[in-house]
Amino acid sequence: MFSDAWLIAAKDLRLEFRSRVGLNQVLPFALLVLILFAFALDPDRGLLEKATPGLYWVAVLFSGLLALQRSFAVESADGVSDALRLSGLDPAGIFLGKVLSVSIQLLILELMLGIGVAVLYGASISGWFLLIPTVVAATVCIAAAGTLYGVVAAGLRVRETLLPLLLLPVLAPVLIGATRAFEAALNGTPSEGWPWVGLMSVFAVVYMVAGIFGFGPLMEES
Amino acid sequence: MTNAIVLAALTDTWPYVIAGWVVAFGGIAAFALTTVLRGRRLSRQVPPEKRRWS
Amino acid sequence: MTTENTGTGNVANPDPGPLSTGSRMTGVLGGLCLIALGILVLFGLFLSPADSNQGDAVRIMYVHVPSATVAYFGCFLTTVGSAIYLWKKSQWWELVAYAGAEVAALFTALTLVTGMLWGRPTWGVFWVWDARLTSTAMLLLLLLGYLAVRRIDADYEVRAKRAAIVGLLLVPNVIIVRQSVQWWRTLHQPPTLFSDGLGSKIEGLMLFSLFTGFIAITMVFVWLLIHRFRLAWLEEQRDAQGLDAAIFERRAEGVPS
Repeated sequence: MFSDAWLIAAKDLRLEFRSRVGLNQVLPFALLVLILFAFALDPDRGLLEKATPGLYWVAVLFSGLLALQRSFAVESADGVSDALRLSGLDPAGIFLGKVLSVSIQLLILELMLGIGVAVLYGASISGWFLLIPTVVAATVCIAAAGTLYGVVAAGLRVRETLLPLLLLPVLAPVLIGATRAFEAALNGTPSEGWPWVGLMSVFAVVYMVAGIFGFGPLMEES
Repeated sequence: MTNAIVLAALTDTWPYVIAGWVVAFGGIAAFALTTVLRGRRLSRQVPPEKRRWS
Repeated sequence: MTTENTGTGNVANPDPGPLSTGSRMTGVLGGLCLIALGILVLFGLFLSPADSNQGDAVRIMYVHVPSATVAYFGCFLTTVGSAIYLWKKSQWWELVAYAGAEVAALFTALTLVTGMLWGRPTWGVFWVWDARLTSTAMLLLLLLGYLAVRRIDADYEVRAKRAAIVGLLLVPNVIIVRQSVQWWRTLHQPPTLFSDGLGSKIEGLMLFSLFTGFIAITMVFVWLLIHRFRLAWLEEQRDAQGLDAAIFERRAEGVPS
């Protein structure tokens, strides 16, 4: 299972590295979202600073949706999904590989967005000890749930509208948790943030298990 | 004077109570009606031996 | 179960079977529902007293609270039905999941609307971001997601399997969402401000009205569920029949008349 996962992750990341869509389109989109928030919330009134953690994670969520859509779009082109099914790779391994590649892309995105937020909104970054587990937990949540629901929506004409409808309500707890944890870290009260990391970890476990067992049946006929 | 009337209308709870019950019963009735009517229409299209689950 | 409400037979087709999703059982149940709803209206709107705090707005609660309960029960059915379908490929249980989700969506929407209509005279606003209302809104969105998947334009097996994965995760999602919204809204707020709309003490005729509400709404839920299930069954039969008919016609084309 794990060797198949590495294979798939390497393939996806190599594809991404060669096409650079993530760098050329998803990242600019994410920065654009940050800028749009500044237009909407007027930097002079102090709303932007107060809302920074929430706005950051909303930008991550929307950009993550794009990255996920793309991750499945490359599969449905050129009959790749049939090739994937016939390849004999373990479906659980395919799931884990996709989660890994999406996670890595998301982490890079989050790092860039973090810099963007520090620069554009003047946020000061403190509380590393809480920030890093929060980012890791939230990333796995988004990647795992996104990959599972991504394959549910894969290959359908309506997939572009279906995936957000499925994913965003499911990820609402992650948005709540990650935002509260960030606020706790930035306010210097990290003890309030840890329960949220715990909640997100439970979420991540649920979706990793669901994906590992659910990918097989879903891949049988798409 | 108009302020008093507006205030009375806003704090008067009965319109909301009636609206709540009407919406609830109405929603249920609408769902029930559409389901039963669609069921009747479909029953005609399906051959008789398949009209009930086994 | 096939003697009432059937079409008239003829020589070629002696027993056409039932012509609607009704049956003796649902007829009886429907009658009981109407009686229960009548009693509910009588006690809820007229015979029970107004609350000392909320006034007459409490009467909305007699419909609102049972609707919420029944909606969550519908979700539970969807998850159980989806699990059994994934495990045993039982179409019966898959249709229970589908019907359960749709009826649950109806009652979730009703819960939201009655909740807002209760909130206006009580709190002065239609919406507050308290744990309960927010969770209920999220529940509706989760259900709409499941229904969207179930209704895609594809073969039954594809539709059912994908929807079942979403349905299986419905209850876990609801639990996680409720927990996170609860923590979010109550960690820094005194719990008394948005406490249970019914107050700590409900007794006498008000308790009886609420109880009647539960009985009536639950019976209505079951009645709607049965009809919706049968409708879904008929839809699948018609779709399957459409394929059979097309194959039959294609074969008939090759036969010289």
